[in-house]
Amino acid sequence: MKRWLALLLAAATQAAAFTDEEVRAIAAHGPWPPAFAPDPSNRASGSKDAIELGERLFFERRLSANGAVSCSRCHIPERNWTDGEARAIGLARVDRNTMSVTNVRVQRWFGWDGANDSLWAQSLRPLLDAREMGVDASRIAKFVRQHADLACRYRRVFGAMPSEDEAVMVGVAKALAAFQETLSSGRTAFDEFRDALVKGDAAGIAAYPEDAKRGLRFFVGKGSCNVCHVGPAFTNGEFHDTGIPFFIEQGRVDPGRHAGIQKLRASEFNLLGRYNDDARRSTATGTTHVRLEHRNFGEFRTPSLRNLALSAPYMHNGSRETLRDVLDHYSTVSPDRLHADGEAILRALNLTARETDDLVAFLETLSDGGATYRRRPSAADCR
Amino acid sequence: MLGAGAALACELPGGPAQTIRSPTHSVVYRAAPRLGEHFAVEFAVCPAPEGVRVDAWMPAHRHGMNYVPAVKALGGGRYRAEGLLFHMPGEWEFVFVLRAHGATQRLVRGLRVE
Repeated sequence: MKRWLALLLAAATQAAAFTDEEVRAIAAHGPWPPAFAPDPSNRASGSKDAIELGERLFFERRLSANGAVSCSRCHIPERNWTDGEARAIGLARVDRNTMSVTNVRVQRWFGWDGANDSLWAQSLRPLLDAREMGVDASRIAKFVRQHADLACRYRRVFGAMPSEDEAVMVGVAKALAAFQETLSSGRTAFDEFRDALVKGDAAGIAAYPEDAKRGLRFFVGKGSCNVCHVGPAFTNGEFHDTGIPFFIEQGRVDPGRHAGIQKLRASEFNLLGRYNDDARRSTATGTTHVRLEHRNFGEFRTPSLRNLALSAPYMHNGSRETLRDVLDHYSTVSPDRLHADGEAILRALNLTARETDDLVAFLETLSDGGATYRRRPSAADCR
Repeated sequence: MLGAGAALACELPGGPAQTIRSPTHSVVYRAAPRLGEHFAVEFAVCPAPEGVRVDAWMPAHRHGMNYVPAVKALGGGRYRAEGLLFHMPGEWEFVFVLRAHGATQRLVRGLRVE
């Protein structure tokens, strides 16, 4: 009897264990957090003075046309640096959901359409968009030059204040980027489990909830979710049509990546341009080689899944309110609705109720609980 | 007419490399792709073709890379392709497209990326 019980227990343990292939797939989602590496295209990256300047600018409402909209209007610290709206509202409502700026430093492309190839160039976009903050280089430069504390901090970071308004504006964007590079999510229950699995730490493995383990197994196995949501940030950083309609309203569509590549190539602020501080253009490989194809129409960037539970609503247009709504979409998505030119990645997952519960349990373990940010205490004015 | 003997003489100095052969040509290449990172492929083609292009393809997904590699001729039938990036884990294929004597041929080699 005891021998039978032991055999049954061994069989159950074996069934619950992850295969070598699963372990490799799970290990690819770490380690976390990644080490900081300065952005060579931004000479202010990693600079303490630039981070302090960028933080002030991030919360500065006077950098908008009506003096009421700051970056933090949509990127709210207490909401995982997003806003809870389906589509962001600056000076007016825009077409897309606010992407969180948590972990933004690890991205290759920025925004849902990847129209920018650096965090500093991406930081210019909302400043200049008439529906978001609605200012221009002249107004930004005038404000910074006339604000004694900001002007002093600007000179501390970049040296002399440039005579060209546009160069001042790019400096502002680079300071904003330096600040945003500091916004990283923390360790999660998943990270503890992942590291325990890699080390063979039985107690650490056992501490991870069983339903999350089942959800994770589905994620890297039957669901193949890790084809796109791969790597430590749970994103491949690239663009896909996931069957979410790209009609914005009657007569207006969102072309997504297709227009994003065209904007990137046309931008004087891309990494091939004169504002890249890296003479070697070492981070411009993607910009040089990016391929524009018909299938890019309606593609949007794969978002990170870290702190996902804190980032509702979901998808590029905020059309899915809850994680269960997102899973329902992938459970029932029709490949016929995709604009994929024969690409064969998505298929309906046909999730059972238990599989949905398990996936939600797993996805919730990717959150660090939020609210790790504390605004730096106001330092003495720069003189 | 080029014989197989000429194709077999292909070499790529600098360490272990993979070889793909067709009845008329050999490609010897070296690459160390890592998921989600740009990488380069160094390769030699023997005999030297009139033109060469490098690409990659995910047959199960029926899509290629999101980037167009650029090939630089280094002389002596050696080349360097830059700008490749595998953005998904799984089975990929390197594709070398050779143009010689008015004809085009594709030399293909699969690899798994994790």
